[in-house]
Amino acid sequence: MAVITVKNLSKNFNVKLKEKGLKGSLKSLIKPKYKTIKAVKNISFEVEKGEMIAFIGPNGAGKSTSIKMMTGILFPDKGEIDILGLDPKKDRKRLAYEIGCVFGQKEQLWTHLTPYDNFKFFGAIYDIPEFQVEKKIKELTELFELGDFITTPVRNLSLGQRIRCEIVASLIHEPKILFLDEPTIGLDPVVKENIRVLIKRMNKEYKTTVVLTSHDVSDIEKLCKRVIIVNNGQIVLDDSMENLKYHYLNKKIVEAKMKEQVNLEDEDGITILKDKGYNLKVEVDTKKRSVADALKILNPDNIVDINITNVPLEEIISDIYKAGDKE
Amino acid sequence: MRKYLYIFKTEVMTNLQYAFDILIGFVSYCIMIFIFLNLWHYIYSDPKELINGYNMNQMIWYVIITEILWMSLGGRKLCKKICEDVRSGNIAYNINKPYNYVEYSLSNHLGLVTVRFILVGILGMVLGLVFLHSTPIQSIFQVIAVIVSCFLATVINILLITSLGLISFFIEDANPFYWIYSKMILVIGTLFPIEFFPQVLQPIIKYSPIYVVSYGPAKLFVDFSLDSFIGIIIAQIIYLIIGFSVCHLIYNKGVRKLNVNGG
Repeated sequence: MAVITVKNLSKNFNVKLKEKGLKGSLKSLIKPKYKTIKAVKNISFEVEKGEMIAFIGPNGAGKSTSIKMMTGILFPDKGEIDILGLDPKKDRKRLAYEIGCVFGQKEQLWTHLTPYDNFKFFGAIYDIPEFQVEKKIKELTELFELGDFITTPVRNLSLGQRIRCEIVASLIHEPKILFLDEPTIGLDPVVKENIRVLIKRMNKEYKTTVVLTSHDVSDIEKLCKRVIIVNNGQIVLDDSMENLKYHYLNKKIVEAKMKEQVNLEDEDGITILKDKGYNLKVEVDTKKRSVADALKILNPDNIVDINITNVPLEEIISDIYKAGDKE
Repeated sequence: MRKYLYIFKTEVMTNLQYAFDILIGFVSYCIMIFIFLNLWHYIYSDPKELINGYNMNQMIWYVIITEILWMSLGGRKLCKKICEDVRSGNIAYNINKPYNYVEYSLSNHLGLVTVRFILVGILGMVLGLVFLHSTPIQSIFQVIAVIVSCFLATVINILLITSLGLISFFIEDANPFYWIYSKMILVIGTLFPIEFFPQVLQPIIKYSPIYVVSYGPAKLFVDFSLDSFIGIIIAQIIYLIIGFSVCHLIYNKGVRKLNVNGG
């Protein structure tokens, strides 16, 4: 069952233009000029209940604008949005009870208060009875391991602790859909991993649908089964993570240390990336040639050490972004 | 309603942590009262003499009350915050919460005003009693009536300043509007009662917000009568409705124009 349905969604922004210098400033005062930026162009997609999808794209691609329209913050110019049977444009307040949002770059917690007081505050905002809030705080404190700092003012928490509290604050009212906009921004790798585990656990425990935007490929790879890539306001890819890996990961990197120096040249499907005599780095396009072919060319008897890896997912996504730019 | 009370309570809790800092900020209040105390002592040759219907004690208490109302309001902070919320797009993060921004802003700011009002109120009363030895208030009912009128005056003031701040949806900076508003309140509503102004201006001032946000509660304190109480409360209720309507109108129009680029 689809919990999010987006049909032909578009949004334009009018940005005031100003010519250079004082003359330009005076001119724009008398006759202001505006430029229309097409932030989102006719996008459509659906998200099923309990799914964790990555909604990604380069800066200025239109992903945050799309999320803001889905959460009722911005009004679309064209198209339809259906979130759990509600139209964010008309039922903004009702929708607020059904969704949760975490914006990694914006604080929603009251920094002078403790996480506990903040959670109680959010409970009241969402009209949850007192006893239920207490129960939920206890449950989420255990799930997100907040016990050690739940009574410390938010301003004294580390970024990782704060983000955990931000997520809990957005889960107090048991939302059916959680929008996570760059939740791991600025965190160190250990804390990032910790947050990912907790998000996964939350998704498993409460069957919450998660829409995640992040520039960190590891977030996407480890959390999401489906990825929607947006570029220049359009969807350039909507596929499962598995397909993305298998269809786009058709290239293997073979790094070999040789006994004797070899002289190789590029062949169809095999590209020499680095040749330092005894150390070689070769890219194999598995659609055209097998890895075994490459090994034969290298001569297995001459190999001292070998390492075969995939092209990093980050590189693949970046190639998709670039392809979108060319179009 | 519960959620707005909770927002109010949370803001009170936050500000109580800074009660001492707030109190330090009221040094200017003490200086202001001291200046006016001396000024009116100089103007009134006999303290019992009446100028435009006010004796010296009434005049000083008038300034004490209007200054309590203005100093506890923190209007500049409110207008600046709303302007910044709108311009930076921060207001967007309030939109997807199940409350109305105008009511949120009101209950939030009332939390701050309550703490400030109690602190500056005590300070003002102590100053008044030390220098004047008595208050014009004569019964508990009058105290309650003045407090009710002060509360309504504050709510109206917050709503009017909120609507000024919300103009930021349509223009770059709404702070100059606040500057004009604050100077008008200072000159016409805080230092002198309406009766001190020329006859031609008096009816205009009586219909202006100054009558309900400044003059009304102070007049009740210095010269209470049931008739004036009823008249002021009715005027305040009318302005309350106007304030709410204007705020919602500007907000509803403006929020459709909201332009938040990027994450």
